[in-house]
Amino acid sequence: MDKIAITGIGVVTPSGIGKRQFWANIKSGRSFVKEITRFDASLYPSHIAGQIDDLDKYSTISERLLKKIDAFSHMALIASELALQDAGIDIKKEDPNLVGIFLGNAIGGWLYAETELRDMYMEGREGVSPYMASAWFPAAPQGQVSIYYGIKGFSKTVVSDRASSLMALGYARKVLAKNKLNMILAGGMEAPVTPYALLCCNTYGALSLDNAHPQEAYRPFDKKRNGFVIGEGAAIVVLEGLDRVKSRSAKSLAYIIGFGTTCDGVDRINPANDGIELGRAIRMALDEAKISPDKIDYISLDGLAVDIWDNSEIDAIRSVFGARLKDIPVSCPKSMFGNLLGASGVVDMVIAIHAMEHSLVPPTINLESPAVDGLLYVGKETREHKINKALIISRGRGGINSVLVVEKA
Amino acid sequence: MVAKEQIKDVLVKLLKVRPEELKDDVSLQDSIGVDSTEMVESVIALEKAFGTKFNPKEITKFSTINEIDAVIQSKLVK
Repeated sequence: MDKIAITGIGVVTPSGIGKRQFWANIKSGRSFVKEITRFDASLYPSHIAGQIDDLDKYSTISERLLKKIDAFSHMALIASELALQDAGIDIKKEDPNLVGIFLGNAIGGWLYAETELRDMYMEGREGVSPYMASAWFPAAPQGQVSIYYGIKGFSKTVVSDRASSLMALGYARKVLAKNKLNMILAGGMEAPVTPYALLCCNTYGALSLDNAHPQEAYRPFDKKRNGFVIGEGAAIVVLEGLDRVKSRSAKSLAYIIGFGTTCDGVDRINPANDGIELGRAIRMALDEAKISPDKIDYISLDGLAVDIWDNSEIDAIRSVFGARLKDIPVSCPKSMFGNLLGASGVVDMVIAIHAMEHSLVPPTINLESPAVDGLLYVGKETREHKINKALIISRGRGGINSVLVVEKA
Repeated sequence: MVAKEQIKDVLVKLLKVRPEELKDDVSLQDSIGVDSTEMVESVIALEKAFGTKFNPKEITKFSTINEIDAVIQSKLVK
């Protein structure tokens, strides 16, 4: 399969909106996890998150449209605009039939849904906004971005829990490689910092309860790990075939060269404890990229900070990379801004692209004493390291494994 | 006689459009690109504002401000 170029990046995260601000905060190792202030969350077992407070400052979306959409669609619209600007694309000049959009989301738009359901029980059916039906569901952002830009090509929303956005990138790559479209907006968005969504995340039982120390709470692969922290945001990139990049004299930021996905199929929530299927997904991605494991210079880990997830992830990479693992830097930068669930994979890919460009491996803050030794963890401090090819791992509940290989442009 | 300004006021507040975008004799679709869901919302808001209920046949006549005004007038006269 051909290489696919990434030519534009749009990020909307607790660590920054826009790629410059985002990367500056990532490389400096700053934490943006804090106590939730959007609503009174103090009675929830876990009430810390990566929250975005200044979305409106970056938005050009009209009030008329805003009242029809949930925050996750708003984030997707901002991320799409930033990505198109970054790619230097005027979408009005594109053939709309040859533009696609592939997004990933795990839980839908609950802030909108919760408010309207409350109104339904308080005021009856006439109290519910007619936009409710089109605002809450996971494919709503795909629809809103398509309407906004007049996108009419083959498109898809992937719902695969936390692996959703990496899966969306994998699908988008396959479609582009078949030359069916000129360009695709691909990525994901998630807005779980709402009363009901936070409740569901708490029920999952895997969130950190270290509310007293928000910035130290998310500690993937650390001995003192105690679960993950949620975050909200979106990342969307522009994908194009190499011929088109050349014909419009555009600049490639990186290439997607391989993708693999497998399922564990053993439990409703947990992954298999042996990492065998994740290992197979990694090999699948490397095979598709036509490279051997020794060509990988950085591994971006999923890192849920839960024993079975972290340990099986290490087992999987060990099964593929063997003794060489002690020389390949690995890290989990989402420890700084929270796990963006369905949007987590694409955000990790965006970080890996910057890491390749700047030859800097992003940190895993709070990783002080690894629970499992023998890996080249990049902990608190950013580490200089030349990266030509990076592997990104994203996993979802029930054992969904997805792996992407990116190459420096 | 129902003031057309009152109808416009309801729509401006609801749809977040500028008053000057609404023209008496131009369809809401042509003037502000109203979509089907916005139309549903507008009908509900107008029902509340004028204390009346519109039947489906009446709603199909809701195209311009003049037409909405005519329907409301006929209801209020009854």
